[in-house]
Amino acid sequence: MGLDLSALSRQVRQMSHTAAMSAADVATRAAQARARYLASAGEEGRWAQAVNLSREGANWLLAMPVEPLDTVRALPPPPAAYSVVATDGSQIDLDRHGAVACYLINIGQVFIRYGQQPKARLTSRPALYYREEDLYLRDGARRVLIEGNYLSARRDVDEGVALADLAEEWLSGAELPALALQDGTLVRWTLANAERFVQDHFIERYLAYLERMRALGVPVASYISRPRSPEVVGTIRLMLCPDVDVPAGRGAKCSECSDVRAGREPSCMLCQGLVDSDVIAAGLAEGQRGPLFISLSRINVDRYGEHLIHFFHMRVGRELCRIEIPRWVAIEPAQVDRVHALVYDQCARGDGYPVAIARAHEQAIVRGADRKAFLGMVEGSLYRAEAANDVSAKKASKEFSRH
Amino acid sequence: MSQRIGEVIEASTTRFTAGAYELLAAPPFGSLVRASTRSEGSAIYGLVYEIRTGSKEPGGRAVVRGRTYSGRELYDEEIYAENPDLAEVLQTEFAALTVGFLEGGQIYQYLPSQPPPVHYSVYACAPAELIAFSECSDCFRAALFAPQLPSDELLAAMIRAAARARPDGRDYLVRAGRELASLLKDDYDRLTALLRRIRP
Repeated sequence: MGLDLSALSRQVRQMSHTAAMSAADVATRAAQARARYLASAGEEGRWAQAVNLSREGANWLLAMPVEPLDTVRALPPPPAAYSVVATDGSQIDLDRHGAVACYLINIGQVFIRYGQQPKARLTSRPALYYREEDLYLRDGARRVLIEGNYLSARRDVDEGVALADLAEEWLSGAELPALALQDGTLVRWTLANAERFVQDHFIERYLAYLERMRALGVPVASYISRPRSPEVVGTIRLMLCPDVDVPAGRGAKCSECSDVRAGREPSCMLCQGLVDSDVIAAGLAEGQRGPLFISLSRINVDRYGEHLIHFFHMRVGRELCRIEIPRWVAIEPAQVDRVHALVYDQCARGDGYPVAIARAHEQAIVRGADRKAFLGMVEGSLYRAEAANDVSAKKASKEFSRH
Repeated sequence: MSQRIGEVIEASTTRFTAGAYELLAAPPFGSLVRASTRSEGSAIYGLVYEIRTGSKEPGGRAVVRGRTYSGRELYDEEIYAENPDLAEVLQTEFAALTVGFLEGGQIYQYLPSQPPPVHYSVYACAPAELIAFSECSDCFRAALFAPQLPSDELLAAMIRAAARARPDGRDYLVRAGRELASLLKDDYDRLTALLRRIRP
């Protein structure tokens, strides 16, 4: 017996009803939060300080303003010719019930040059990992299996290294404006709760890739479609907080919230459930970007150093996207303009999503049929090599229903 | 010298399909192509009966691109120039009906013992090779009675090409016409339709 669809449909209807009800409420609160946010324009220094003071005490993610809060930058004219590289990866995770311990990472790689001499190279490169040192991270006698989140972290590193390789191959010494694009975030926050040596292992390699890109002088940007992060909203919470007093050096401390102590609902509840794009979207027309912020994820602040990740929002059609860039790109206005113009151009060519990333994804994707073929290949090869080829009883039971 | 234009991506005893190396650059309908085989000095001949261009991805489709996001109008070749990645994700393929083979310097107009191997090269035949191949008209029958092909159109296109390749093209057309008349002696309507297609 599979899914009971008739039982489910009632719940789906209720869910839609609730979603419709809350949409109106979200819009009202977003408008109020936005009004508070705009009222603070011109006081960025003060709120940057408030953010610093509240880093430890606030329960929320925070973003530190770098540019005036009411910044709206028009789309800079795109260059007539430019090059872009992008990578994206997919994986087949370790199958604990499978015949042999291994995982596969497939990296899609894209180079596209626009202008007088158009050219494109789309490739994918699979890598199979099965050696002891690939499967485990070691710290003295401790071993940590690379699977799940850690495999994703490894894939992120591999995507970065492949991107730097691509940039070296196609962009070094080129006169055209260039851009390196990644999908998703540049902040490796999934590692925030990892053990220190695991974090060190991945972060060091990841930052080494960013360092290579900096040495090449190719700006790196990542593209997040429909971002759900509430970092700017976290900063608005500080603006609403009765406890923040910057001149007195006092930040928000949620554990000692004075509203809660007085039996009131916390003032910042206005922001409950809002995300950055709810607040920023209203001010941006097609192609325009909002102000630059620094993401204050702990791992970003503690580990990224010169590569500290900044972000801004940009309007593409009905969507507001978030673009992340490292500090060495963010501090050069010309580079920020280039990222702004080129990412928008990529979206325009790709019907609202950057072409290069979409192509990299197409190259990287491992489809169901490919996955089956791969597993079949592994089993066949093990059989011929006369290696042990047993799957677990649990896996075997899932392949057939027995009656 | 004939030019390598693609490679076999699918093959069976009676027909083979090749992917073209250059997007939109397939040999003409009805033209003679030659596929390499595993033995030295032998080759397989095919008549191109279908040309198609589409996504390399299974289930993928092209989308309209003539009006850009910013409202700019692009036409034809400009679309390819503005989207260099298209040449990488689209593929032009052509299918050929196997009509004979070459072995030991001799041309045979019947089916070879093996189809051309997948990934082996496909060449466009030069006029001299087309003339040599079309000296014999045994393959007319195979083309005329091949199922599920635009067979009359295919044969007519091949005959016209063979005539164009010769200085005495008119004589060739007359010879070919006679051959067709004997093959289609039971089907007057079809014969006249075919003859109209090759009329000088």
